[in-house]
Amino acid sequence: MGRILLENVTKSFGDAQVIPPLDLVIDDGEFTVFVGPSGCGKSTLLRLIAGLEETSSGTITIDGLDVTQVPPSKRGLAMVFQSYALYPHMTVRKNIAFPMRMAGLSQAEQDKRVMTAAKSLNLVDYLDRKPGQLSGGQRQRVAIGRAIVRDPTAFLFDEPLSNLDAALRVGMRLEISEMHKRMQTTMIYVTHDQVEAMTMADKIVVLQAGVIEQVGSPLELYRSPCNLFVAGFIGSPKMNFITGTEAANRHAHTLGVRPEHIAVSTQTGAWTGRVSVSEHLGSDTFLHVHETGLADTLTVRTNGEISFKHGDIIHLTPREEMVHRFDAAGLRIS
Amino acid sequence: MSNRTLPRLLQTPAVLLLLIWMLIPLSMTLYFSFIRYVLNSLRRPEWTKPSISNWRGFGNYEFVLNNKDFILAIQNSLLIVCSILFFTVIFGILIAVLINKSFPGRGVVRVLLISPFFVMPAVNAVLWINMILDPVLGLQGLAVGGLNDAIEGLRNAPLVGGFFSLWPDFAPISFRATQTSAIAVIIMVTWQWTPFAVLIFMTSLQSEDQQQKEAAILDGAGAWSQFRFLTLPHLSRPIAIVVMIQAIFHLSLYAEIEIVSRGNGNKNLPYLIGEFANNNIGAASATGIFAVILANIVAFFLLRMIGKTLME
Ligand SMILES: Nc1ncnc2c1ncn2[C@@H]1O[C@H](COP(=O)(O)OP(=O)(O)OP(=O)(O)O)[C@@H](O)[C@H]1O
Ligand SMILES: [Mg+2]
Repeated sequence: MGRILLENVTKSFGDAQVIPPLDLVIDDGEFTVFVGPSGCGKSTLLRLIAGLEETSSGTITIDGLDVTQVPPSKRGLAMVFQSYALYPHMTVRKNIAFPMRMAGLSQAEQDKRVMTAAKSLNLVDYLDRKPGQLSGGQRQRVAIGRAIVRDPTAFLFDEPLSNLDAALRVGMRLEISEMHKRMQTTMIYVTHDQVEAMTMADKIVVLQAGVIEQVGSPLELYRSPCNLFVAGFIGSPKMNFITGTEAANRHAHTLGVRPEHIAVSTQTGAWTGRVSVSEHLGSDTFLHVHETGLADTLTVRTNGEISFKHGDIIHLTPREEMVHRFDAAGLRIS
Repeated sequence: MSNRTLPRLLQTPAVLLLLIWMLIPLSMTLYFSFIRYVLNSLRRPEWTKPSISNWRGFGNYEFVLNNKDFILAIQNSLLIVCSILFFTVIFGILIAVLINKSFPGRGVVRVLLISPFFVMPAVNAVLWINMILDPVLGLQGLAVGGLNDAIEGLRNAPLVGGFFSLWPDFAPISFRATQTSAIAVIIMVTWQWTPFAVLIFMTSLQSEDQQQKEAAILDGAGAWSQFRFLTLPHLSRPIAIVVMIQAIFHLSLYAEIEIVSRGNGNKNLPYLIGEFANNNIGAASATGIFAVILANIVAFFLLRMIGKTLME
């Protein structure tokens, strides 16, 4: 079990209200990802759920139980921190066993669970090392091991992979996803990373300045972002925004076209522009097109075989059914 | 000239100076400890000049070992140093942890706490022994007197009078007596050096990782467990530093011992050296060599002990 309910939760530090009244439901077994720009309150929200920060008002419910005033250790949640927060003076074994030791489990039970966790996380050879003697990825696995052995009702991750290099990040991302599939435990995951959010989440919560902009599955957010902020935030490279007569022609204030939904041609097209930079990624090429009369720059995603030089004139055609329309307030017109 | 020679050449004066600084006193002490050398002797005037022809071998060492005060001085040195270390570390940790939390007036409290460290040792000793610990004129005398008066009053009270009439009169303790003068020294030096420990532990506590604490809170660790498993190991290195520095300083305590009892029944090694040095430089030097050996042994065992107990 692990259904988490936030009702009218607010948080202020002194005079500054970081989280305005906020409602959120996280269902049992769901993998929920919080995304948003830096400083938007993702960590704060996670810490409120964990109990590391006190709510200024509102209630937090876990499995039908009001835990707003319950101390963190009694909420049955496990948290994995960005800095790992391992205990530097203890061996890996003791680190993983620490929550069980605090709970007063028998030594035999502790050893058994440490072994199980270590096996599933590939840590068996490192059990007698200190955290300082491990690589970043191994440290992160120890932190996850320490969370697993408690058998929590939900896992909270605060940017757990952002200190790892790109290759390791991909590996750990898969491991965490697999872990979720296997254990079916509720997980809340905070990240900056588009790819992590899109690939891991059952449900993405997009936050801006403490306000939830949209909640939905990754594809929902990608296909029908409810406003300009979500449209610009989800998807990489960013969605192109076009205002002016072109938008007015389609009865909108702003048009949103994703780079992958624009076709390129050297002969004809709806729009014309001049290539300024083309970025070759191998599989894809990103073209930055100027002088279209629509926006400063249009970003276009094409296949990796295409090559244009700086200054080439090209013609662009958006896929009409993929054009998003937004009104003057920035809300989606459907 | 290879590119390594110049830096070395430039370092040489400093290194030489350091060597001279350390080696000359040590070798002179060693040398004096093996010869007969006194400041004043009518009978053997040739002993008043240090000379290799007065060679005595281990005679000075034997003389010191057979001196009735020597064993007492070693015991006393160890007792005083270990007690001061024990109390300053405990009080230091307690106070540092207490004032690490923020509360109104913390800055003032910190300055006040540090201030005993800036009192001169001799002044500190005079203040404590005359104004606080003195059995008649000091605070102790007043407090014991007040306590006795209070009990006296209660003896005539109804109901509880019978109970209090069983109590004896309290007698103030004289800290200048041979048995208690070491305790007086321990008290006053602990008071003076606890701030040093607080200062070191306080700076260390400020660098403690807060996320580790939060992780421990989520793991179900209470205040005591957090202290025991996170803070104390975190403090192990500062504790070792405090212990080492204080051991060096307190093995050579002198002013306090002189002022409290003029060494009556409470000599430590430096005091014994001082007494020998009134005339017998050879014996004083031999005692000095014993002191060096003792200091090394103490440092070695203390550091081993701390390393073992705190690093789990
Ligand atoms: N203890 C605090 N006291 C005062 N303000 C705070 C405190 N903690 C966070 N804030 C403020 O709350 C806001 C949200 O912070 P938070 O750490 O939740 O952001 P975040 O979304 O996690 O950002 P990032 O992606 O950079 O980690 C920030 O503006 C921050 O300055
Ligand atoms: Mg954060």
